[in-house]
Amino acid sequence: MTAPTHEPGPASSSAMMLASEITKRPVVTLAGAAVAQVKDLVFDGTAGRIAGFTLSGRGLLSGPLRHSLPWSGVHGLGHDAVMIKDESVFESRADVLERGSAGRGDVLGSRVLTDGGTDLGRISDVVVEVVEGTTAHVVGYEIASSDALDRQGRKVFIPLSETTAVSGEALVIPAAAAEFVADDLPGFAAAVQAYRARRRTEV
Amino acid sequence: MLFSETAGRQVVSATEARTVGIVDGFVVDPATASVVALRLKKTDGSGDTLVWEHIHAIGPDAVIVRSGATLGTPSGELAPLADKHRSLPGKRVLDERGEALGTVSDVDFDADTGALLTIRTTTGDHPGKRVLGLGPYALILREP
Repeated sequence: MTAPTHEPGPASSSAMMLASEITKRPVVTLAGAAVAQVKDLVFDGTAGRIAGFTLSGRGLLSGPLRHSLPWSGVHGLGHDAVMIKDESVFESRADVLERGSAGRGDVLGSRVLTDGGTDLGRISDVVVEVVEGTTAHVVGYEIASSDALDRQGRKVFIPLSETTAVSGEALVIPAAAAEFVADDLPGFAAAVQAYRARRRTEV
Repeated sequence: MLFSETAGRQVVSATEARTVGIVDGFVVDPATASVVALRLKKTDGSGDTLVWEHIHAIGPDAVIVRSGATLGTPSGELAPLADKHRSLPGKRVLDERGEALGTVSDVDFDADTGALLTIRTTTGDHPGKRVLGLGPYALILREP
């Protein structure tokens, strides 16, 4: 078996992950036992942070679990597993759901419009930035691009900003954000940096 | 000394100069990052586990057990550690941030104390001191 190597990064290492990649990831204790798998992400709607995860059992026949994982119980969120100290960090599903909105159903499929009125495409996934493996927040969306972006309908990534207005139907972003579209996740990390720098100078 | 070169070695009792078994596996305690017992095969049926305290020497050609040493079945604290699902060779390796580090290809240990010196994985070597946990799913290494 070959596994991708992730070199221990510098002090401020961060990684971009798609919400769809985080689901199905095993939840593993520091004692080395896989005790669940991620069913869905729970977002804290206003701040765009991950509030926690709903869980399902491991294995084909296991369904959703009654307990969930609050973000405070996450020891590390990596590309290959969600690490927890032990099973004592679990809370009831109701308590974790109370902290945010479950799933990405509320934004998936939503149309992305610029404040200039251009349709950029529809949201197909949520991009989460994980810093130091311990903090995570939503930094953008993957969209199936429209003709306006001239990407032949490919998947592209757009940065999210605090001024983004979102409803179940559409998301309206500043036209400037459309200039920071990236074609892949590594490129998106740089685009997010550039977009933030631009916004700082504007304020 | 490597797990791979120790496995298959004869285990001989010092007093009777008799072979009591063949080294088949290693029981590791992640809390101390050390080998705490050997699992044997081809024993006479009295048990398959040789605790570290009963080992006199692990030499280049044979493992010598102390006089009066007995094989047993894992009991007490040893029982969960001796579970075959916790065997290191081939075990998936994760760091505590949830990043995969390949699988265990071999382990270098101190033949005098049992301490794990180096965990060799398919992606590189890691000091035994990094061992944080060992369970049915994976070996967990702490951040360097």
